[in-house]
Amino acid sequence: MDVLTHSLGSEGVRMIVGLIGVIALVSVNALFLIWMERKVAAHMQLRPGPMEVGPHGAIQTVCDAVKLMGKELITPEEVDKPIYYLAPIVVFLPVLLTFLVIPFSQTMVIKDLNVGIILILAFSSLSVLAILMAGWSSKNKYSVFGAIRSVAQNIAYEIPLLITVMSVILMVGSFKLTDIVVAQSRYWFILVQPLAFILYIICATAETNRTPFDLPEAESELVAGFHTEYSGMRFALFFLAEYTNMFIVSAVATVLFLGGWHGPILPGAIWFLLKVYALIFLIMWFRWTFPRVRFDQLVTFAWKILIPLSFVNLLLTALALKIF
Amino acid sequence: MLSESIPQALSPLNLEKVAPGDYAKTGYHLEVTATPEQMPAVAQALLKEGCFLESLTAVHTSREAFTLVYHFANFYELCRTAVHAVLPDGAEAPTISHVFPGADWYEREVYDLYGIKFAGHPNLKRLLLPEDADIHPLRKEFPAEAEAKAEAPK
Amino acid sequence: MITSGIEEKTFVLNLGPQHPSTHGVLRVLLEMDGEYITAAEPVIGYGHRAHEHMAENRNYQQFLPNMGRVDYLHALAFNQGYCMAVEKLLGLEVPERAEYIRVITNELNRLTSHLLWFGAYLMDLGAFTPFLYCFDDREHILDLLDSLTGSRLTYCFYRFGGVPKDIDDDFISGTRAFIHRLRSRWADYDNLVTKNVIFIHRTKGVGLFTKEQCQLYGITGPSLRGSGIPYDIRKSEPYSAYPQFHFEIPIGENGDIYDRYIVRLREMEQSCRIIEQALNKLPKGPIMAEKVPKRIKPPEGEVYTAVETARGEFGIYIVSQGDVKPYRIKLRVPSFANLSLMVESFKDNLVADVVAILGSIDVVIPEIDR
Repeated sequence: MDVLTHSLGSEGVRMIVGLIGVIALVSVNALFLIWMERKVAAHMQLRPGPMEVGPHGAIQTVCDAVKLMGKELITPEEVDKPIYYLAPIVVFLPVLLTFLVIPFSQTMVIKDLNVGIILILAFSSLSVLAILMAGWSSKNKYSVFGAIRSVAQNIAYEIPLLITVMSVILMVGSFKLTDIVVAQSRYWFILVQPLAFILYIICATAETNRTPFDLPEAESELVAGFHTEYSGMRFALFFLAEYTNMFIVSAVATVLFLGGWHGPILPGAIWFLLKVYALIFLIMWFRWTFPRVRFDQLVTFAWKILIPLSFVNLLLTALALKIF
Repeated sequence: MLSESIPQALSPLNLEKVAPGDYAKTGYHLEVTATPEQMPAVAQALLKEGCFLESLTAVHTSREAFTLVYHFANFYELCRTAVHAVLPDGAEAPTISHVFPGADWYEREVYDLYGIKFAGHPNLKRLLLPEDADIHPLRKEFPAEAEAKAEAPK
Repeated sequence: MITSGIEEKTFVLNLGPQHPSTHGVLRVLLEMDGEYITAAEPVIGYGHRAHEHMAENRNYQQFLPNMGRVDYLHALAFNQGYCMAVEKLLGLEVPERAEYIRVITNELNRLTSHLLWFGAYLMDLGAFTPFLYCFDDREHILDLLDSLTGSRLTYCFYRFGGVPKDIDDDFISGTRAFIHRLRSRWADYDNLVTKNVIFIHRTKGVGLFTKEQCQLYGITGPSLRGSGIPYDIRKSEPYSAYPQFHFEIPIGENGDIYDRYIVRLREMEQSCRIIEQALNKLPKGPIMAEKVPKRIKPPEGEVYTAVETARGEFGIYIVSQGDVKPYRIKLRVPSFANLSLMVESFKDNLVADVVAILGSIDVVIPEIDR
């Protein structure tokens, strides 16, 4: 350890340990979330869900992961190979990097950047590039449809998302995630910004391509959308990214609105995770109750309702700050 | 009453037979016999009476001739009109798909299964069988299952 | 009509034959301008099994099992139609009790069909959960019918002149319990689907069928009633024991896919009503006509009978030449006409609407292909 510290500096060791921790967290988290989704879906649909492997099917997703790894990677003949190969990696890496700044507790944060929230928003919007690459390179009309929809959708929903986040930033005066959490030590921002919270959850659901906004992969229209032509581990990476994205948007919501690690008795990190999983449950609940919106409705909803509303919210926040 | 107004509407066409049917036995309220050439006019008259085309099919009655069978019914009043039109083998029947667009597919089906051509049909292609098929399986000379199996090369 | 014709601005999308929401093996060629459809051409026949040709080559009894396989979701109505036609040819009288059993089983079968449609339709719209709710309900009916007929889907239960097996007290009490259970579920369905804002926005004003179009294309069944025409063969050309029961024909106003949804949902309640009345009034007596000939050899002649299936009018046209084999059997299936109009209504809609419209008329492709 001393040698490592000596050659890399304490900051370097922190980074490496953090990165290993993140990779472990991402995989375990995804396995857990997939199991959780299955269980949530099942119980909402009056059935038990996976029960065979492990207690209440807890190891089922591990088996599925192993199966996916063992699958043949099929590359259709006509695809644009470099882009086709690159897309699953491009979708996954930015997701990994955003973990760098998420404050699980006062001290459990790998690198507390002073532009933390901007970094998260910037990296998470990269995933749309990956979806475009995947859809475009697949040489499949359904995939292209998925990709086009995804781009239009992400551009439309990114704007209200950013403006909503801005109204919280205005109140704190800092882009640093820990500062935002510390500012909520007396009360959570959901109490003063309820509209912003609702707007954020809607946009986050759309950003993560979840029902009712799952148009890029709408299975009843587009077969499987942008990942129609992917198989095996490449498909698994898209899957992994989707669930990790869900974790990240929920974590950001926790930081912005639900007071991050603040909570009585239990340690901060536990509170943080509890809040995140509660939000994820909410998003899963949406998926298993709502039908899908139509594409034109989706875009109209963003441009005509969400964006004006988020501007109103921003103006009101600024006004309130000026007066009080 | 449709069973009275339909014969009235059809009377200017000088059809071979317009008679009340035996509903208990056949399910028809009106039985009409026409020539295939008269069919567009008959369809037009029945459309004016508010009828819809229930079904259109053919029967391979003999070696030389087919009978085209048209069934019309009405949404508001129970009155099924069956129109029979005898068509010699090889002759073309005029289409009624410009009167009842729903007849489009029925005529394609009859063409597909019997090889009867409908003059003036906008898109007379095979419907149920593959486009490159060379059989018309409901013609009586087409072998039955068992015969076809016996003839097939082993 | 779509040829190879890819114009500059459009492209051709091949929907099916293997696609998650074509309900069987339907293939539709869509000429698209972005997400909008400029032309549509269906290609059918992938499930063609030559039922009509088979009919000409086997005797009347041998063709009976075929009827369960034309429309596998409402097999008993097809059984009913065929049996009625042959009974008419032979001049057979079906005993009262047999007619009641036919009505009860037929309406149960209609419920299974509508429940399956409900689930599959919502799945087309992207909601998965209702699918499992209604399959849970449907399973109860399948068990009931299984205990009576011996099969779960492709029933061959009616015979010329009656039914082969009487219903027992277990079946009756089971059916009553099921009706009670299903009625308690309507509120769930309404809360989950009918009142959902997204659902209403997806379905209102989409896929309109006008009354004129319905007449020109010969649309029947719930798709027609959604457009406001109260045409139901159970009422307008009463057959079997239906005239003895009170029930209503639900109709829609605008003819959009929302109306068709509402019509089907209300029809399920009407089916429950019919079954209840039939169970209450069930007469005693034989279940088979007395003088059914061993050799079915109807006299020369032709007959057309129509029954109301879950999708619309099923008409069967039989030409007999006094032989043990029918000379010609034509099956007039409801989805055939319904699909031909639906394709017209695809134009200028979004690809998402295609799926919604397709689901709303509840096509069964093997029925069209025969």
